[in-house]
Amino acid sequence: MNYAIGIGILNIGLALLLSPFLEGIIRKLRAFIHSRKGPPFRQPYYDLLKLLGKEDLEVSPNFLIRWAPVVCLATILTAGLLVPMGTIKPPLAAAGDVIVFIYFITLTAVVIMMSAAASESPYAQIGVSREMMMLLTVEPVIAIALITGAINAHSLRMSDIVLWYLAHGPTVSMVIAGVSIFLAIQAQLAKLPFDISEAEQEIMGGLFIEASGPKYALFKWGFLAKQVIFASLFCQVFIPWPTTFILWLDILINLVKVLIVVIFVCLIDVVNPRLRIDQAIRYFLVMVFVALMGLVFALVQA
Amino acid sequence: MNIIKRLQGKFGKEILEVKEPVKGKIYLTIPKTAIVKFADYIFNELKGRFVISVGTDTRSISNDYTITYIFSLDREKTFVSLQAHVKNDDLTIDSITPIIPGANWAEREVYDMVGVYPKGHPDPRRLILADDWPDGVYPLRKDFPYDKKPESAPEMKVPLKKTSEKATVISFGPFFPVLEEPAHFKLFIEGEQVVGCDYRGSYNHRGIEKLGDSKLTYNQIPFIAERICGICGFVHSTCYCEAVEEAAEIEVPLRAKYIRTIMLELERLHSHPLWLGIAGHIIGFETVLMQTWRMREPIMWLCEAISGNRKTYGMNIVGGVRRDIPKDLHPKIMDVLNTLEKEWKTLLKAIQGDTTLMMRLKNVGRLSNEDARKICVTGPSARGSGVVIDSRFDHPYSAYAEIGFKEVVSYLEGDTLARTLVRLEETLISIDIVKRALQEMPEGPIIAEITEEIPPGKEAVRVVEAPRGEAIHYVMTGLDNRPFRWKVRAPTYANLQAVPVMIQGASLADVPITIGSIDPCFSCTERMIIVDKKTGKEKMLTQNELLEYSIKRKLK
Repeated sequence: MNYAIGIGILNIGLALLLSPFLEGIIRKLRAFIHSRKGPPFRQPYYDLLKLLGKEDLEVSPNFLIRWAPVVCLATILTAGLLVPMGTIKPPLAAAGDVIVFIYFITLTAVVIMMSAAASESPYAQIGVSREMMMLLTVEPVIAIALITGAINAHSLRMSDIVLWYLAHGPTVSMVIAGVSIFLAIQAQLAKLPFDISEAEQEIMGGLFIEASGPKYALFKWGFLAKQVIFASLFCQVFIPWPTTFILWLDILINLVKVLIVVIFVCLIDVVNPRLRIDQAIRYFLVMVFVALMGLVFALVQA
Repeated sequence: MNIIKRLQGKFGKEILEVKEPVKGKIYLTIPKTAIVKFADYIFNELKGRFVISVGTDTRSISNDYTITYIFSLDREKTFVSLQAHVKNDDLTIDSITPIIPGANWAEREVYDMVGVYPKGHPDPRRLILADDWPDGVYPLRKDFPYDKKPESAPEMKVPLKKTSEKATVISFGPFFPVLEEPAHFKLFIEGEQVVGCDYRGSYNHRGIEKLGDSKLTYNQIPFIAERICGICGFVHSTCYCEAVEEAAEIEVPLRAKYIRTIMLELERLHSHPLWLGIAGHIIGFETVLMQTWRMREPIMWLCEAISGNRKTYGMNIVGGVRRDIPKDLHPKIMDVLNTLEKEWKTLLKAIQGDTTLMMRLKNVGRLSNEDARKICVTGPSARGSGVVIDSRFDHPYSAYAEIGFKEVVSYLEGDTLARTLVRLEETLISIDIVKRALQEMPEGPIIAEITEEIPPGKEAVRVVEAPRGEAIHYVMTGLDNRPFRWKVRAPTYANLQAVPVMIQGASLADVPITIGSIDPCFSCTERMIIVDKKTGKEKMLTQNELLEYSIKRKLK
């Protein structure tokens, strides 16, 4: 039990405290590609602090506007507890499995959409409709990829999938699942070319147009934490090597892998313009199909 | 001569007067009732292109108002100006907009400014004047002092279209992240699809023309003309100076012409990368923005080395230029141009090979060749739609005739990609022109001495190809060392009118890049709104309602 709490604190710590630093690295990298100098690595911390210290404004007395940022961050962190970050077993393994994880990441998106819809801004409405379309095509990709793992391992537990994968080595089905989840991360993290529901240049931030100050800080922090969580999910479940079973070393290895994944995500982000919603959906429908192929392979092998 | 003969053959005695003070500039005085006939013939038979109409208060000269319709016959390298006199007792003239859609704004402007109403105009709403400007006060009339502030009208008139019951309105402007300047596009959308739009501009109208014919002198105007635009300012000052020079028959030294050409092309060389960067930014491709602006920076430094300023050089004056380009700067200019050329070629290749970028540009914001001609768009927007016009070639000015400019880039597709490629390729040509001009530039004086006073009553139309299209200046000389009428038509004025056609049926996501693709310059031109047709919710709040509303919200 104490072990689980310890690991839980580790996961939350990584997701909350380390993620802004990771963002700092990304910003430097992006600046480098832009031929700019870029802000210092600690800038994202300053940004969060500054936003947290601002006046707390509400565009409407709707309780959704007040509580959505909190619930959003909470659901992301709970999802973070369901993902292994250097351990085989995620800290909250006793409480939930792959299905619960999918529930929580969907809940995050739904909460954000509800708060945006409650703001009554027409730009936010467009953001909501775009986010809904994205959710309906991206989420299945993630779900199918995770279920492919579950079918292989004959278990819905994240730790069983990892252990099965470590024992059996790469299989066709798991490679396909890994690739499709990697491509879905880009959309989950609202990175280009898929930051369509925010699209500053088209709908001025869409979903978050009416979010400001501390509320926006929580949304923003949530998204930073999501980077670490999704990168860890990909690294630990779909490329679990090398696993040494020495706790501190595994945690370190995971961090390095997360950094590499996030750098890749950033690179895709800088070299692409934003897609139109119909183009993005067509892309992810193909991805759903690809992920389903992986699932079929898993079923055949099993 | 050929054209005059054709016109005389067609209309005979209806032409009251023909003037051709300079070769290629024809002025016809016609009765105001015949304007539609003439415009129809020139537009449809002679394949002329409508440029602008100028309303002039000539009560002090001929006791009437003169409306001058300027057409460009590009293949014949000729401007034909139709002048109709409108008497004080019937301040109307038949509208030519039903025949030439591109005359829409021009006719509304004439009504706003001098009060000659276009009869039969399909959309005679207010265009230039502010919403609270009183009716019946026309600022460009000579009896209206340049510094007069009329009292606000009791009721605000927001000249926006009624929207259909089903549309959702999305406002794109007056302030929007990707609009550098205030313009209001009101978009009517269904889901993500744009089903219609409305535009309101002129938030920045500065009354520059009024200043020009009531306060400033001939040689002060180039400096304010240069401030019409923050990007292509030199275009406007050159165009104005050349118009005055033409009217007053001043011979400009060849070296001055070369210097103007070099500065104009340097302006294009920093404008096109600027546009490309913004286009990248609009579709979220920040790397393009950062890299093109980095490439652009040395050009700005170059301009600073030549003129002392990165922008707004203050070099033009009637009769020539005020600053020379010294010999010792030539190697530096060549150096910067060679680097830019190399980097630009790499960029061109990278852009053509980028599939995601192609997805966002291809078949987006299509403007058909037919529409481009009807709306009379200019510059890369026209050339992207297969309308092969470039005033550097059609109406050579400065030293383009001497340099022998022939390389007009054009594409047939008419989409955003075509307009992008036109600009990308033009940049390379501009580099070449500057290099050639530097080598061929003759020695000699850079300014003509003007000993005689500029005679009144002379007219001139001049054109300069700005990076966005052609800028047209019309000057009619007057007394007191200032023009009697100075009319400026910036290229965006023509191009912006094509936006509703381009975004009709487009996805909302494509609207910013489509508007961006004409490289709009609102300070030159002098507003658009989005509406969702399904919910039918559209409400315009008055200023007071809005104020009350915001106070109420704050107290909650």
